[in-house]
Parts: sequence; C-alpha cells; structure tokens
Amino acid sequence: MILVNRREQIAWEEGLTVARLLERLRFTFPQIIVSVNGELVRRDEYGTRAVPDEADVRVVHLMAGG
Amino acid sequence: MTENSREASSVLAKHTYTVSAVVRGYAGRTLYVNVGDGVIESKPVTQEMKDKFIGGRGFDLWLLWNGVADDTKWDDPENEIVISSGPCGGTTQYPGSGKSIVATVSPLTNVVIDSNAGGHFGPLLKFAGWDAVEVQGKADKDVIVVIDGTTGTVRIEVAPEDAPGDTHLLGRWLLDRYAADEEARRYTSSITAGTGSEHTRMGCLNFSLYDRKRQDLRYKQAGRGGIGTVLRDKRIKALVVRSRPVKGDSNAPADLGRISRTGAEMHREVREFDPIQNRMRSRGTSYLVQIMDDYDLLPVHNFRYGSHPDTPQINGDVWEARFTQGLPDGCWYGCTIACAHAVDGYEVKSGPHKGQIVIVDGPEYETIAAVGSNCGIFDPDVVLEINFYCDTYGIDTISFGTALGFVMECYEAGVLDTEKTGGLELSFGSADAALAVLHQMGQGEAFGEVVGLGIRGMKRYFVEQYDTDARFLQDIGMEAKGLEYSEYVTKESLAQQGGYGLTNKGPHHDEAWLIFMDLVNNQLPTFEDKAEALHYFPMWRTWFGLCGFCKLPWNDVVHPKNAQSAEPSKIPHHVQNYVEIFSGVTGREVTSQDLIDMAEGVYNFQRVFNIRLGYGLREHDAIPYRSVGPVTAEEYESRADRYDEQLRELLNLEPETMSTEEKMSALRVHRERQYELLIDAVYERRGWTADGVPTLSKLQSLGIDYPEVVAVVERHL
Amino acid sequence: MKVLSHDPELCVGCYTCEEVCSETWFKLVDRSRSSIRIHDDGSGPLRAVFCVQCGECIAVCPTEAISQDRRGIVRVRKKLCVGCMSCVGFCPYDAMFYHEDQTEPYKCVACGKCVDPCPADALAILDEQVAQ
Repeated sequence: MILVNRREQIAWEEGLTVARLLERLRFTFPQIIVSVNGELVRRDEYGTRAVPDEADVRVVHLMAGG
Repeated sequence: MTENSREASSVLAKHTYTVSAVVRGYAGRTLYVNVGDGVIESKPVTQEMKDKFIGGRGFDLWLLWNGVADDTKWDDPENEIVISSGPCGGTTQYPGSGKSIVATVSPLTNVVIDSNAGGHFGPLLKFAGWDAVEVQGKADKDVIVVIDGTTGTVRIEVAPEDAPGDTHLLGRWLLDRYAADEEARRYTSSITAGTGSEHTRMGCLNFSLYDRKRQDLRYKQAGRGGIGTVLRDKRIKALVVRSRPVKGDSNAPADLGRISRTGAEMHREVREFDPIQNRMRSRGTSYLVQIMDDYDLLPVHNFRYGSHPDTPQINGDVWEARFTQGLPDGCWYGCTIACAHAVDGYEVKSGPHKGQIVIVDGPEYETIAAVGSNCGIFDPDVVLEINFYCDTYGIDTISFGTALGFVMECYEAGVLDTEKTGGLELSFGSADAALAVLHQMGQGEAFGEVVGLGIRGMKRYFVEQYDTDARFLQDIGMEAKGLEYSEYVTKESLAQQGGYGLTNKGPHHDEAWLIFMDLVNNQLPTFEDKAEALHYFPMWRTWFGLCGFCKLPWNDVVHPKNAQSAEPSKIPHHVQNYVEIFSGVTGREVTSQDLIDMAEGVYNFQRVFNIRLGYGLREHDAIPYRSVGPVTAEEYESRADRYDEQLRELLNLEPETMSTEEKMSALRVHRERQYELLIDAVYERRGWTADGVPTLSKLQSLGIDYPEVVAVVERHL
Repeated sequence: MKVLSHDPELCVGCYTCEEVCSETWFKLVDRSRSSIRIHDDGSGPLRAVFCVQCGECIAVCPTEAISQDRRGIVRVRKKLCVGCMSCVGFCPYDAMFYHEDQTEPYKCVACGKCVDPCPADALAILDEQVAQ
C-alpha cells in the first residue's frame, strides 16, 4: 500500500510510476506538485519515476477556480 | 445631429471640470452624479480614503456607506451604484490590471453586493479624471450619463426613444453616437444592462471594450447581485466614458521601471508555462469544465451530482475549437493570460435577435457549468445561445443557470407542472424550454417573471402560491443571503462550504476556493487550519478588488520554482509581483503582510455595513443543505460508497444495518454540526463574536473605529 | 528581406555596436538603450541578441502597434503603443528591449549603422536566407 496526501491508501503495483499513479487517481489537473517520500518529482520525470511500495506520496493541487 | 442641437434638446444637466493628471495611480477626485435632481459634483479623495480604503471596492464601499441610510432598499432613490478601478487599475505592463469594481445595495440580497468586470471603463474613467463614479437618484425618463475626459464635461442626457434596449445593439449605437472616429472608439467605453435587467432581479452590467483587431465591441460582465437591475431601476440606459489616448504611463506610476521589469518577467512566464499548464491563452477558463468533472465537483442537475458522462461535449477542447484563436484576447491592455475569448460570426437561432450574426463573448467556465451541466444541457450551441442572450438582455449567467437548475428540480419533483410554468416542460436538459424562459425574462412576461425573482424570491412565491414544503425548497435552493451559488459542488469540502457561506456578499467563489487544499490535498485537516485559510484567502482575494487587479494571473500560470516555496498554495513569487506593482505605482513601500492588512480593514467594514443594513449576523451565514450533503435518497445512493464509509469511519455506525433514510439523517446531523463548528473557528480567527460581529478591538486594530461604524456594532455586542 | 547578421567567431566583445546603436536612436551613448546586446557568458564565443524580424510579436500586440513594413522590417509605432510589454515577454529571442525611462519598447530595424564601426567586421546587413 502507498499513502497519498496523508489520507488515502492506494494499492501498490509492480512498476508503478508517478504518471500511472496520477492516472489511477484521476488527478488530471495540470497545476500539481508531486513528491515521493519527501522528494519533489519534476514534471518531465512523471513517466519514469518509480513509486516504491509503502511510499508517502503528496500531490498538492494548486488553487483553481475563476 | 450636431453637438449643439443635441445639447439643446436633450441635456438635462451639465458639469465642466479640469481634467487633472493622474498621480501615482490616483486621479484624486471622485464624481457624484444624481440622475434624479441633476446634481453633478466633484469630491476630493482624502489621504484617509487612500490609507484605509485604497480604491476599487474600498472606495465603492466608503462612498456607498455615506450615500445610503440604515433602511435603504435596492430600489430607493438614495441607493447608489459606485464604480471604481483602484490605484493599479489602468497599469498596462502587468496582466490583469484593468478591472472595474462595482457596488450597490442588491435587489437579491438587500445587502451590499460587489462585483467586478474587465473591459475598459474603470481605467478610462480614471484617465478621464475620476477615481470613482457614484450615481444616485432615479430619473423619470431614460438617461445616458456621459463623462468626457477630452473636453472635461459630464452630462446627463435624455436617451432618445430609438435607442436599442439590448446591449449588443445599444453598445454599438452608443459608440456611433459618442465616438466619431477610430481614435475616439479606442478610448471610449460604456456600461449598459438590457431589457432583462428591467424585468428581473438578476440584472448584470456589460462593460465594453473596443477590440482593435476585430474593430468591434466586446463586453465583460459585472454579473453578480443584480446591479443591472438597479441601473435600469434608476432609468439609466448607459454610462459612457471617454478619455484621452492611453499610454504606458497614463497611470503615472512612481517607478515605471519597476513595473516594466515585473510585467516583462511575468509575460515571459506566461509565454513559457501557459502552453503546458492551463492553456488559458487558447481555452480561457473553459479548461476547468473537464477538470471539475474529473474531481466530481462540476454542478450537474442542480448541484445534485459532480460529474456527467456527457461533459466532454462542453469541455475545454470543444471551446478551444470554437474560439477564434491567435488574437490578443485580454480584457485590458497587457493581459497576456488573455482568457477573454470569443466565438465570432455566431448566427443567433432564437428570440428577438434571430438571424443576426454576432460575437459571443465567452462562454467562461461559470457560464458553461451554470447554464450547461447544472441544467443538464450538454449542447454547446445552446450554451452559446443562452450566453449571448443573457449578456445582451443584461442577465447574470450564474444566477440564471443556478436558478433554472432549481426550477428544473422543482419541475421534476412535482412542485411545478406545465400549468404553473405556462406550458413549459422544464425538466433537466430541456434546451427549448430553457431558452423560452430566458426570452420571457427578457420581455418580462409569463413564467420568466417568476424565475427572474431569483431563487429566494421563487421559494417564497412557491410556498405562498402553491403551498410547497418550505423545507424542501430551502434544502435544494442553491442560494445563500439571496444570491445564487456560483458553480462548484462543495459537499465534500467543509472549508469551501465556509468559502461560500462565510462571505460578505453571498456564495461566490471570488473570496475563497479551497476545495483542492481541503478535499484533495488534505492540507487543512483541523478546524484551525480551515479557519486560517478562511481568513487568509478571503483577505488576499479581496485585495485584488481594492487595486483593480484580476486574480487569474496570480494562480492560473505558475513558475515551477513555486514548488520549492514554503507555502506553494499562496504562490509567493506572484504575491511578490503584486508587492512590486503596488509599491511601484503608489510609491508606498509595502510588504506582503501589508496587502492582507489593507484588505482586512475593508472586509470588516463591509461586514459592518451588512449589519447596519439589518443582516450580516450568524443567522445570515446559513447555507442550504444541498451544498453540504445529499438531500435526496437518489443523491445518497449515487455516492453510497463514499457516504457509507464516512458513517463507518467518522461516526462508528454500521451502514449495512441502516435504511437510506437513517443513513441520510445521521450524515446530515454530523455535517450540519461540522459547519457550525467551522463557523465558530472562523469567527474567532477573524476577530468576530460568536454572532459574527467584528469586535471593537478588531475595528480599533484595523483603524476603522469611526463613530458611525462603532455605533453599528455596539448594538450587537 | 535584409537583416542584421553577427559572426561570433569574429566578434571581440568591444561593445562598439551597442554604443553606436544607442547614439543613433537615442542620441545618447548608453548601452542599456541599445537594440543589439553582446553577451559574454565567459565560455565559448560571444553571443549577440537582436531582432531577426520574425514577426512573432505582431499577433501578441493588443493595439496593432507592431507591423512589418514593405521591406519586411518589424516596426513599433509609438503612437499606437500603450507600453504593455507583451511583445517584450513573448519575443522568442528576447530581442524586444525596454528602458525604464520610456514606455515604448524598441528593437533592431536593421538600419546597419553598427556595421561599419565594428572593428572586427563581425556585423553585416545580409539577405535573410544568407544570414541564417
């Protein structure tokens, strides 16, 4: 299991990347900041950065709304 | 007609003035126009006004406070419409620096409404010599107020009977009448409403801008709270302003270089990051439609649900294909965020303007969600048609869509039937019936007149006329304080329930938008966290309206370096830009905390203003249960997993042993209690009593403990 | 179309071109007002920034103050300009310049005044294709 935003438990899977995790969570908002175990992940690394089992993932959505 | 003969026949009052130069963002005077008795006066802008009220919404509130009485109603002659841009309004170098802010006593809420719009009026008003214009009184025939900064004259003219009623024709007519050549057109702007404003409580104002590329007029709306209704009640057909040519230093900033540097850097950021972030430059705010659907936050069927399978038919991709691309669609010079897109060459399909080829300004997110998904209408052509007619009739798209969603639910629930609607089958998705209602509102006839009362008015009407269950209407009617909700589903975000409920003007998202911070990011786990956010963000977002800024450039494009900042949600590097611009314009060196302090004074003043008018207390911060949790069994069942889990986790209940009614009831008790606890926490953070009244020490610390302000709160302490 | 061309191999970084440019257009020897800027990042050849007349700024301008003349040179008409800096921020070459003393931005119009004074013969006015 991995923990997203200190609340949601998500089942871990083999080969899980940041991009795949965002897809599973349906996190489609473009203005987000992702960190895995406290380390910021750059946007261009989402497709390659692995998310290990038991990771603490934070996905901070910035403000939206006109 | 020549100027002289026109003057002889139609000028009711005239005032001449010397057009003084703007100094550090201020013209130094405000204009008072009484369309009832013809008095036109100049009032000085005092240092106290600049220090405490800054400009924009602050000036509006101060002038309005001094113009009305404790018992002034929206349609009393002494009610005023006040319009001001603020010291930074008219800055050309930084995106989003041309907003006008309007305030009046609202026909929907009976308290002060403030609403803002783009377009050129506010900045041109300042360059014509006035920091604000304040109109009072009621004319006995239709009039046009003309403020001419090229000749230094203000006139109240009789509007000829052949002047068109609806904005898309009236704006053009005014331009032909008051701006003879291309140069005059560039520096002329009007404020108009429309026939719908005459017959409904939800009238909006259209602020024009002359689009040099299209060589035609565009309009931006100050939509909320029925200000267009007040304009037409005063029998003002239009306000027209003309200034001398705008230059990069027309706002006479204290430090032009500082502003140019900050602006150029921001434009670079927009160029680099907008294409890979929200793509405002090609889609505007319509990008939000799909996002909100993805997160179950898009109002569907009167806010019952947060998503719908047909959303892709009205999402940002659709509008990107419809909007004319490649034009600098800012609503004021220098706005490279350029969200003010339009559909060109649209042929009107219904109603009195059928067959005309027009420009449709928008639609923006709020309009698409309000008149589209919230009414179950997923046809982009219908959204465009409603958008066009709402604007030209002078009807707020948000209030219209939210009110119509309420009507449709009432129809489906059997509260209404075709006998009561005059034959209209108003179930969700009925596009023809929706348009028919809109045209009736434009004409002031049949069932459209009822819808034009707004949700609060309709609730009263249905109870009185049809003996409807008042509690059901209270639960599903998406209004608070009398104002219709703007378009976000708040059921799962307690902080945003407060973001809508604990506002001064009513449920509108321009005070706070905390859903992601609260619901998705889990950054506000405690009541104290939520209360802090419901202090900081409303103050911060109020500040934009004091200065003439739009808030989109703050948060709709962001440099990646923001990720490393201590508080990314506040977007500190953009806050610093505003510190630079405000300091650079006014010469008053400020910090980011100073901006919050400025806004807090004005915010509390507005709260006291509401109390003075007989509202503004805890009971008036109540919200409908539809915004808090599932009202109907159908709604509960649609998200049963989510709600069941909450019953288990938060309340230690066993949902599998309970009926849907029991589960709904338990959830409701819990959620309504949470909202009350939130109110307690927020009031404490804001320095208010448990009844929502700013304390004396709070007023003293903000420097707004004027005797007349203190007198209002003392009655409640 | 004729445009300015800079040869980094020949440039010696004497900044004569910047001085000549500002004197030509602003009657001041002040390199911060030049429409050509020589950059020395300390490694490798010197880099010159000036307008290549690509015209991308034309669509960005909200007041139609920027247009191409008959020779293809992109020009800013001061009378129409409101000083909004959009073109400065959106120039892909960072070749639209501004100075804090004036509201309108300015740029290279390939006048060629800097070419002859260049002691290293690093500048020329060339046909666009040749320059590339």
